[in-house]
Amino acid sequence: MSAGDSLLGGLSCWLVPIVFGMGLLHLGVRLREVQVEDSAAYSYASARQSVRRVRLAGLRGRILDRNNRVLADNRMSVSIVCHPVYFQRRTWKETTEGISAAINGCAAVVGKPSPLTAHRIRRHVDQALALPLFVWNDIGPDELARFVEHERDLPGFGLVEVGERVYPCAAAASHLLGYVGREHIASDAGDERFHYSFPELCGRAGVEAYYDSYLRGVPGEKKVLVDARGFAMREWTVIEPQRGPDLKLTIDLFIQRLAERELMGVQGACVVLNPQNGEVLALASAPGFDPNAFVPVLSQKLYDSYAKDPSKPLLNRASGGTYAPGSIFKPVTALAGLAAGYPAGERYCCDGLFEIGDMVLHCSSRWGHGELDMRHALMKSCNPFFCNLAADIGTNALLRAARAFGLGSKTGLDLGTDNAGVVPDADWKQKKYREKWYVADQIQMSIGQGMLLVSPLQMALVAGAIGTGQLVIPHLNSVVESPSRPLPFTESQLSVVRDGMRMVVAGDGAGRGTGWRGGDRVRVAVSGKTGTAEVGSGKTRRKNTWFIAYAPSERPTVAIAMVVENGESGGGTTAPKVRNILAGIFGETEVAR
Amino acid sequence: MIGKLKRFGWLMLASMLALIAIGTIAIRSAGLARTETVFHGMWVNNVATAAIGLGFYLMLAFADYRKYLGLLSIPSYALAVLCLVAVLLFGDTVYGGKRWLWFFQPSEISKLCIIVLLASLYGNSAGRSWRFGFRGFLLAGMLVGLPLLLILAEPDLGTALTLVPAVTLMLLVAGIWRKGLVTIITLAGLMGLMVLGAVYEAERPGVSAERRERILKYVPLKAHQVRRVRVFLFPEEDQQGAGYNLRQAKISIGSGGFSGKGLGKAETNHLKYLPQAISMNDFIFCVWAEETGFVGSVALLTLFGLLLFACCHAAFVTDDMQGRLLAFGVSTLVFAHVYINIAMSIGIVPITGLPLPFISSGRTFLITTMCGLGIVQSVTIHREKEIQ
Repeated sequence: MSAGDSLLGGLSCWLVPIVFGMGLLHLGVRLREVQVEDSAAYSYASARQSVRRVRLAGLRGRILDRNNRVLADNRMSVSIVCHPVYFQRRTWKETTEGISAAINGCAAVVGKPSPLTAHRIRRHVDQALALPLFVWNDIGPDELARFVEHERDLPGFGLVEVGERVYPCAAAASHLLGYVGREHIASDAGDERFHYSFPELCGRAGVEAYYDSYLRGVPGEKKVLVDARGFAMREWTVIEPQRGPDLKLTIDLFIQRLAERELMGVQGACVVLNPQNGEVLALASAPGFDPNAFVPVLSQKLYDSYAKDPSKPLLNRASGGTYAPGSIFKPVTALAGLAAGYPAGERYCCDGLFEIGDMVLHCSSRWGHGELDMRHALMKSCNPFFCNLAADIGTNALLRAARAFGLGSKTGLDLGTDNAGVVPDADWKQKKYREKWYVADQIQMSIGQGMLLVSPLQMALVAGAIGTGQLVIPHLNSVVESPSRPLPFTESQLSVVRDGMRMVVAGDGAGRGTGWRGGDRVRVAVSGKTGTAEVGSGKTRRKNTWFIAYAPSERPTVAIAMVVENGESGGGTTAPKVRNILAGIFGETEVAR
Repeated sequence: MIGKLKRFGWLMLASMLALIAIGTIAIRSAGLARTETVFHGMWVNNVATAAIGLGFYLMLAFADYRKYLGLLSIPSYALAVLCLVAVLLFGDTVYGGKRWLWFFQPSEISKLCIIVLLASLYGNSAGRSWRFGFRGFLLAGMLVGLPLLLILAEPDLGTALTLVPAVTLMLLVAGIWRKGLVTIITLAGLMGLMVLGAVYEAERPGVSAERRERILKYVPLKAHQVRRVRVFLFPEEDQQGAGYNLRQAKISIGSGGFSGKGLGKAETNHLKYLPQAISMNDFIFCVWAEETGFVGSVALLTLFGLLLFACCHAAFVTDDMQGRLLAFGVSTLVFAHVYINIAMSIGIVPITGLPLPFISSGRTFLITTMCGLGIVQSVTIHREKEIQ
């Protein structure tokens, strides 16, 4: 070995610890980058791949009547769920089969066949492995007892409580409250926020739908830690879901029930409201339905039976149904005449019919009422009087009056079903029927026939507006204060019609009015108007019978409109029903007044 | 005996035992995360293996290496080569490689046998000056080349990769054909860079399939090795496929942060994102790093540093060339394992199946490494020229 070699040898000896040291130092430096500098990024990546965020539905707020009686509430339903992690096998196929077999085993214990198809289980394993699989929803106490007894023998199965809607008053106010369904709700923050969400309760009709976003709870958040295959390992709630606020309605359950009792067995609707402030006290429509049948899910069979039923039980007739008003429109015609300058005391001789062109309109009194003024024409519901009046003042005066009462436009009720009805004019007729506007149309309208269509809610507002001189916007939410606007008629004009409507119920001292039954033995003075609208022709010809009223007559706090389909007459069929409601509200006296 | 205890390298033993303790903790964590219950008690096996290894260690340490080295080197080498042939013929195939013969991995043992043989041959070359020339290099090349080829045939690139630097360093220190050796090392380094460059050129985005095919034809790597190099060069691509292991290893280590998630709380490991098949072996560092963080990583590196320092110290204080070669050979082998294993888990070098000494679970490797360190301990103890 040369000297140089030995130097080199010494060098290579020293090289060894130097290389070792540098190597370890290098690792230390790089590890510092990974574990200290970039640690946050890797922690995020770790959470991103292993944490699933699940949206938790908040309970819906309750719906209360004006006296805090509960109309819609929540109950906790119990579901049996299967946790897939207990059944993990090497392959997905084996896992799915394992779950399937376990569910069948559990079915034998619970005594209820498995409602899940193999396809449904496979889809859950594919798409929502981190979540429990809901097997039996809303189980009964027997099934629950059987399950709890054998829970130890059923590893991987558990119970989960889910909030369901319940309507304690069953079918009461069903159209008004509406019903709920379940659907996935897109979160406001976009898809980034949650990986999974369950279908949540949402309003599908009525107040449930209109105030859906108000009633809906604030969603919470659950995090699920999943392993590399996606099985849930651990879960914890990050944000507790919150119940939505209660909604207090203006509805009075007592009056609502009165109205529904009167409508039992018939098709029709009734609206009771306070004409001073627009609070709707009752909104009844018959026939009704039980909104509890829509929970937890509405079966297709039941839905079909509702949809095919000719009586249309799902239709809210009170605010969404429209009818020809018939004679209850006459107070509007009267006001139109007074506004157009027709003298209140002018008398007209009714001979039982009114002819114009080749059209003949009969009066309710076959041989005519003889000579009578506007008050008595209202009291006796004289057709020729108002036809004559309408012929004098013309279409525009009629239309102005009808529109002043809000007819032909939505009332502004806080409910999805708010039908505007139809106040026909020349343009409308031209568009709809491609026909000209004849004087006959104007005559027909004056007695509430022809193409005119109104909803019971609109007519309750009309009755109230005549009583107070103010047209209000109706509302159901007790927190809302709705504005009102004065009618474009003078007090003296209104007092003529008020007198007439009072005489409809109370008579003129010499004889009874057409609606005498409507205020019979009611503790307060009632003013009203009867109506019998003929619809259809030939075999489908039928009569929709009306009664509108306000009470007490001096300072009305209640306005009411009721329609009964296929009735006999407004005074005979509907007025007694309205009377019962008014007697329920105001009390009754022993002797006839 | 008291003299031997006086010269005993306590640091070497202490750091080794500390590393084995860390390994046991990490194996326990990795094992508990596995679905198969058989792995839950794996750490107990590790303790038992370490106990056996310690027996060998003390035996080899207190016996004089100069006596048994000459006796054992050639038979053990021959046996190792025989085992390597046998594993190719009768071995069990695990994860695409024939590495197991009955209950042990011959390639792990053969590394130590080669080092022992080279140390005994070139550490005692008095009167055989031809060994310092080209012929000496040729002899070493053949002695190392035969088992190396057998190991590569398994295939076990990682083992081969750690053996080459150990042998090269031994030859350098022993002064065998130095100028030629330096030239060869330089050339090999250049070739390595060229292979890397070629794979980069073939795999970079936008290269047509034919061109890729044409370039890779000249690259002396197998398809799965090309894939690993690609993952190393382009770690952002294919994070679910070939790059998955590296990505999970980095997430595991990185999410440990400065102080770690706590023992037994390595989420990436427990949730099985870290590849389960190798979490206990090649990726054991990830488990440790996730649970103990940067603090634990540095502690681990420090322990390895102390161990390697003790080995180098032994090489420096001894006058015997055999002893020096042994100490350097064994420590370089350990260092190569440590460096490549940790570097691959953080993406500094391409992923290679390679255990982390004393930490990874593996009987053959643990016992072999402890035997190697036992011999180095013997060098420390028997550093006087004459045995009294």
